[in-house]
Amino acid sequence: MNMRKKSNILTVVLLLMTQLTVLAQKVVRHDLYVRDTIVNYAGKSKRAIAVNGQIPMPTLTFTEGDTAEIVVHNELKESTSLHWHGIFLPNKEDGVPHLTQEPIQPNSTYTYRFPIIQHGTHWYHSHSGLQEQIGMYGSLILNKRVDDKTFRKGIDDLPTIPVILSEWTNYNPDNIQRMLHTANDWAAIKKGATQSYVEAIKEGKFKTKVTNEWKRQLAMDVSDVYYDKVLMNGAHSTDLKSVNGKALKAGDKVRLRISNGGASSYFWLRYAGGKITVVANDGNDVVPVEVDRLMIAVSETYDVVVTIPNEGTAYEFMATTEDRTQSASYFVGNGIKQLISPLPRLKYFEGMKMMNDMMKMNGDLNDMGMKMSLNQMDMNVVMYPEITGDGKKKEDHSKHSGMDHGQMKMEEDPNRYNANALGDIVTLNYAMLESPQATELPKKAPIRDLKFTLTGNMSRYVWSMDNKILSETDKIPVKKGEVLRITIYNNSMMRHPIHLHGFDFRLLNGKGSKAPLKNVVDIMPMETDTIEFLANEEGDWFFHCHILYHMMAGMNRVFAVDDYKNPNLPDKAKAYKELQMESNMTHFMAQNDFATNGNDGQAMFQNARWQLGSEWRLGYNDMHGYEVETHLGRYFGKMQWFMPFVGFDYRYRRMGEDEHEKNIFGQANKKDSRKALSLGFMYTLPMLVNFQAEVYHDGIVRLQLMREDIPIARRIRGDFMVNSDLEYMAGLNYVITKNMAFRTHYDSDMGFGVGLSLNY
Amino acid sequence: MRLISLLGLVIPVLLSTQHTHAQIKNAKTATVKIFGNTPAVKTIIEKEGKDRQFAKVDWNQTTKLAVVTYDSSKTSADEVLKRIALAGFDNEKFLAPDDAYIQLAKAEQYERILKPALKNGTEHQVDHTNHSQGLQTIIQPSASTKSADEKTAFAQLTNPYFALKDALVKTDAVVAAAQAEAFQAAIKAVDMNKLSHDEHTVWMKVMDKLATDAAGITKNKDVAKQRVAFASLSTTLYELLKVSKVDGPIYYQHCPMFNEGKGAHWLSKENAVKNPFFGVQMISCGSTVETLN
Repeated sequence: MNMRKKSNILTVVLLLMTQLTVLAQKVVRHDLYVRDTIVNYAGKSKRAIAVNGQIPMPTLTFTEGDTAEIVVHNELKESTSLHWHGIFLPNKEDGVPHLTQEPIQPNSTYTYRFPIIQHGTHWYHSHSGLQEQIGMYGSLILNKRVDDKTFRKGIDDLPTIPVILSEWTNYNPDNIQRMLHTANDWAAIKKGATQSYVEAIKEGKFKTKVTNEWKRQLAMDVSDVYYDKVLMNGAHSTDLKSVNGKALKAGDKVRLRISNGGASSYFWLRYAGGKITVVANDGNDVVPVEVDRLMIAVSETYDVVVTIPNEGTAYEFMATTEDRTQSASYFVGNGIKQLISPLPRLKYFEGMKMMNDMMKMNGDLNDMGMKMSLNQMDMNVVMYPEITGDGKKKEDHSKHSGMDHGQMKMEEDPNRYNANALGDIVTLNYAMLESPQATELPKKAPIRDLKFTLTGNMSRYVWSMDNKILSETDKIPVKKGEVLRITIYNNSMMRHPIHLHGFDFRLLNGKGSKAPLKNVVDIMPMETDTIEFLANEEGDWFFHCHILYHMMAGMNRVFAVDDYKNPNLPDKAKAYKELQMESNMTHFMAQNDFATNGNDGQAMFQNARWQLGSEWRLGYNDMHGYEVETHLGRYFGKMQWFMPFVGFDYRYRRMGEDEHEKNIFGQANKKDSRKALSLGFMYTLPMLVNFQAEVYHDGIVRLQLMREDIPIARRIRGDFMVNSDLEYMAGLNYVITKNMAFRTHYDSDMGFGVGLSLNY
Repeated sequence: MRLISLLGLVIPVLLSTQHTHAQIKNAKTATVKIFGNTPAVKTIIEKEGKDRQFAKVDWNQTTKLAVVTYDSSKTSADEVLKRIALAGFDNEKFLAPDDAYIQLAKAEQYERILKPALKNGTEHQVDHTNHSQGLQTIIQPSASTKSADEKTAFAQLTNPYFALKDALVKTDAVVAAAQAEAFQAAIKAVDMNKLSHDEHTVWMKVMDKLATDAAGITKNKDVAKQRVAFASLSTTLYELLKVSKVDGPIYYQHCPMFNEGKGAHWLSKENAVKNPFFGVQMISCGSTVETLN
């Protein structure tokens, strides 16, 4: 009896112990302390956010089968969150404030806990406001188990280094966002990408510039924000001499697990030691493919293998921003450093010409019958000197002439935007990615087709899907077990890296059953791509453009898979309202010219659709008068060229006896002090001229033409105004800093003046 | 008169003090070897190295030594040397990118003794000027590559072949000739004892033909004639690789237009088509017809 009991207890204890050990070896805990800090990356001390005292955030490493337990200690003065980018997890752990959890409040602790059921290169970042821009990004590496059937000898056992790319700006990111919404072109001045009339004339592209403005376009660029530095693992330049304590030598292969943690920058990746072998993308293995260079979109990850060709040399692995203004490097190997040449400057006017050709008068894009997808046709190649020559006629190197196929006209060449067909180097595109295993979805699952058109405009920096921002749409209901097949067409003039939370999707790229699995798809202007995934995990999943400033402008959707009860969010409807509000924040701008003949200025509150603005002209004496016009208007259309408004004008001016102003309609305005309500609209005409028509409650009509910010030279902006009250004004600004310009103007009421114009 | 002569004295003194004032603050100097050959190069090196009032370079053509003076609070010797290397001049710290070196005027292309000789085909850029001086940068089938490639008997053949192909893609007759010479050397170095029975049979059949075609490319400086020989070389090499094990996939690709529509084949490590028969003219013309694994 006694014996029996003992042995029973023993079995139970043994059982318990084995269970415990199984569990114990699984949980991997990380404590993350989030703190404000001051950094100096580019000559100035600025605020940033460090986690455990470092930027980027620490690399978190797990093995498939572990349970991750990550404890966030928020020591900031604001709320925060962490999103696990590319990870399959229960919805409540996904880390989107107001959608899957409440924001982590200051001085509180929050625990994320989820099982690791996949492997690959991923990353994590804050999903709160613009915190990602100032330090909250880090690598998240999920290793394969050694007994994994997909373990690839010669790849998965190579010396490996995680690399996270990012950018740094000395400006406060909130300010950047504000400047983008007011089409402030300071970033272009810093980059030398103003594309002004003088520059156009110098390059013989005057007509191109006029056509561009005729089509109501601002100067085009491949990126909107000027950065002071770009970083690889938080440094501008790093020597990689050894991995895990083993010195690198000739013949060694190194695997770089690269994540693009940049808020808005795409990066070219190039290597001075020969070809780059791409072995994984977005955390999923791909059949190895050798390329000379690749572009990593915002928030994508790529695993690449590079080889050290020679002893005694360190080879430069360089990441260069798409606009080619900044780069960062890793030197792989030991010894003298083999450099790689910087990428030559973009031919902006060629890009502008290409954009003109593609854009219809109504702002729609016209692909001229080219079915574009998967980054194969890159319209930007017209701007790449290394592919399409340095602006002069392309030389024909081969001596034998008379080949009939060599005489194809450029305009008819189906390959004229295909970088791989034009240049002698291989650039990766999505059509070259292939999964090593079949990725087909269950055949019996019901398929639901969805279509999105990506829309937006530069001038007011509103980015949307189907011309609706998040705050104008409800969640998209999805049944668990459905296959969503989503076709996305980009009808805007910027490229967008579209990211899906919680799932990998198949990118239908012509590889049939071996379509690659991704969670970010970069879609260039005019491209159409199709993705599909099985919605088998319930919850509210974010689907958005990963360019931080586009996301904050509202380029988002939510897929609600079944009716998920999220313990973090008892009131989901209210939380969604808050999420919508955060993606359509009101921005304020103000500007005043302190001039010798008076003060001219304006102040404006605006969000994606509405604008409340006041303009004033204050003279220094009663004769010149004082005038304030206030308008509340709403923009319509995706290009936002049309804005009806209601207005209120106040004017005081002392005129001489019997002196009355008459407008061209013969209507006279006798009062020295006038208060008037008005109804009107503003419409953007070709050449970016604003036409404004207004009728006041006393029957007086006013029509006005106005153009601001005519880019005359790199730092010189012109403007003019003329209206039916026979008032007119013309001015010139010399831009000194992002907030200051020297201004001279002539005004029919107030005469000639010079002054200093300040803007916020 | 006295006054004038006094002025004459004072002015140079003033000028010289100004000169010292304009000198670099927090100055540090480093003496570094920078490679270059002609007096014209001196101007380029010193201009590239100069950075406003923060850095200057004084280079001596005979000793190749440069004295780099820089403001240590603003810049570093490395930054100066990096700029010089990016302009095409190797130095102790940095090797110039090959494309920057090639862009130097022919007369300014110096001997790149710092750049290690290539041991395998991963780097295709080849020194243009030195082919008359003994091809020291051209691929040689060295002992180290052999041992690394034991599993694939003909790897030492394919490496110079791909370099040759890349040269023809770029329509570069000089490099093509040099790589064909490396290919000839590789043929001689094949160890027949290590070949399997099948490999041996085919090898005996194609060996002479490969050598003849390669010699045809080496001797000929006309790229059109080189391409004709290359077409023949490629088909022959394909026969050989078909019976042999290869290291990673090799793509057998076809250009339908070469030789007045008769067509030709070539081998490539990449599936993306880079046509060696027409260069930039029709670079993506062609297709993969077979993949050797």
